[in-house]
Amino acid sequence: MGKGKMTITNHLHKFLATHEGESSFLEHEVKGFLRDLNVPVPAGVFIPTGGRLHDPLPLDFPLVVKVAGRKITGKSDVGGVRLAITDSQELGRAIAELSAISGAEGVLVEEQARPGVEVIVGGAIDPQFGPVVMFGLGGVLVELFRDVAFALAPLKPEEARGLIARTKGSRLLMGYRGKPAVDMEALASVVVTVSELIGSGLLEEIDLNPLVLYPDGALALDAKMKRKCIKE
Amino acid sequence: MHPLDILFSPRSVALVGASPDEGKLGGVAFRNLRAFRGKFYPVAPTVGDIDGVPVFRSIADIPETVDLSVILRPAPEIPAILAEHAGKARCAVIVSAGFAETGQTGLQEEVARIGRELGIRILGPNCLGVFSPARRLDTFFLPTDRLKRPKQGNVAVVSQSGALLMCLLEALAEAGQGVSRGVNYGNAVDLDAPDIYDYLAGDAQSRVAVSYLESVGDGRRYVEAARALSRKKPLLVLKAGKGEGGQTAAYSHTGRLAGRYEVFSSVMRQFGIREVGDFDELLDATHALAMQSGGAGKRACIITDAGGLGVLAADECSCIGLELPAVPEDAQQRLRSIFPPFYALGNPVDLTGQVRDDQYLAALREVRDSYDGFLVIAHTGVAGVTPRIAPLLVQFRSECDKPLVVCMPKGGIGGKVGRLLEKGGIPAYSTPEHAARGLRALLQCE
Repeated sequence: MGKGKMTITNHLHKFLATHEGESSFLEHEVKGFLRDLNVPVPAGVFIPTGGRLHDPLPLDFPLVVKVAGRKITGKSDVGGVRLAITDSQELGRAIAELSAISGAEGVLVEEQARPGVEVIVGGAIDPQFGPVVMFGLGGVLVELFRDVAFALAPLKPEEARGLIARTKGSRLLMGYRGKPAVDMEALASVVVTVSELIGSGLLEEIDLNPLVLYPDGALALDAKMKRKCIKE
Repeated sequence: MHPLDILFSPRSVALVGASPDEGKLGGVAFRNLRAFRGKFYPVAPTVGDIDGVPVFRSIADIPETVDLSVILRPAPEIPAILAEHAGKARCAVIVSAGFAETGQTGLQEEVARIGRELGIRILGPNCLGVFSPARRLDTFFLPTDRLKRPKQGNVAVVSQSGALLMCLLEALAEAGQGVSRGVNYGNAVDLDAPDIYDYLAGDAQSRVAVSYLESVGDGRRYVEAARALSRKKPLLVLKAGKGEGGQTAAYSHTGRLAGRYEVFSSVMRQFGIREVGDFDELLDATHALAMQSGGAGKRACIITDAGGLGVLAADECSCIGLELPAVPEDAQQRLRSIFPPFYALGNPVDLTGQVRDDQYLAALREVRDSYDGFLVIAHTGVAGVTPRIAPLLVQFRSECDKPLVVCMPKGGIGGKVGRLLEKGGIPAYSTPEHAARGLRALLQCE
């Protein structure tokens, strides 16, 4: 919020320049970048393979540990995610095991998020329409429900709300069957930011999935970003 | 005046590739263009005249610069022929196939370049061209006894595919629906859907535009033109290729879900451009929008003389997003006092097989302020339904300009009464589902 389009594009330029030669990035790199853009992400630390755990650890239990590696596309598919870790011993074991996964460059240790409504916010380049932003319900289950809507990027906040409202299940966000409504302003702000990132023309794809929504705020639990490949 | 008047409303037309032989495409096109209300110049290298119409050996021999030249010669000849058009034509319809659609992209690019250099606008190649009944302009190489042309009317039909243009025109002719323009733009090296939309937005003859698409070149340019047209008149878009999925090898969920059609459809919704699901829905909606202006809201009232048809109409209404609130208590009481006790005053209002024509009007007048649109089902197998129902419903429309459609199964006097209704501006459908979709098109609800 308060960050104009130029600012976001400039941030992205800077981020891409510091990661020159890489087409995709490690989760903590993307999250660090998103945090700079005011997209909330869980508190966490990255521990490169062979690296040491910070002491004292600046995080509160329960924790999650996730394997990190540019070659690893599905962390869950390789058993690379451990949830609800409640003590240091368990944490040490998880770090050791996940660091041993083939292709691991390290692990990301994060505070475990509260449950909320899981959604996806993403961006892609359409061959006819150019940069499009997507909103969908279901978070990691999005490909099962396929309740998504697209819009031409970038979007203004009110257009972001329109995009959100075009999903069938958007009523779920307004407070459904006794559940409180989610923080629509926080969600719209994330959608606007993602729309500006993909609208910059510098990225091929971006995924914030899941983005967990609460009555007060939102939290991107996982994030992926891919640089636009330069066509020869 | 619009720059594309030279295409849709030319003063002079040349046909390059005219033939005296009606078995040839050039012969069929000659026959169809002969009726053109304007100057017609057939061009062929050898013949002196065809049926008394003088033939020119070359486009260069024509004594004026023609607005439109229809070119019907084999693809490899087109660059040379187009080059001869320098200063002799403002617009060309290149009917010939054998360009990018068969892999001849180089040839197609050459044609596009020549057109740009000479300042000649090009429709096609690989297209049927234009049908504008007001000027009796018909560039199709299709015999009229094979493809019945619709009468002159207010529906503009824009199609990327020639075959779909044929099917749509045929279906509209069959439904008695008139057409203002029919155009197929094929490979679109120059004139594309956005250029045509821009013309139609200002075309007084066209009240409704329908457009069949397979792809849009520049999506953002397309959206802009479609929005501008939609602000002036209803535009209905039928998109083929709904099965084209996302990139299965994509890195992200978004990439996998961003199928070409999903994105297209979403973007249409983002900008309030109306997409129809299939050919039938396109026809149902066109039929309604050609006759009536749309209204706001989604509350519909069904008034029927046939219980089962009423239930089917109600089912379809709820499937497509129309609401069927109950008849308000006070209206029910007034209707109760004038109708027999066995009439069912729900929604549908069932006037049963005992109905008389004037009872439809009485019911409509009682409920008119409580609903946004009306679906009247009148099965003419019932003795009380007579041709007089048509003027009664037309009278209601003059009292209340909310959308009203009729379901009137054909057979018996149904066909005849249906035509009477349509003369009075009320679309008549033969099934309750089609009628519900027609009403839905008029009630532009989300």
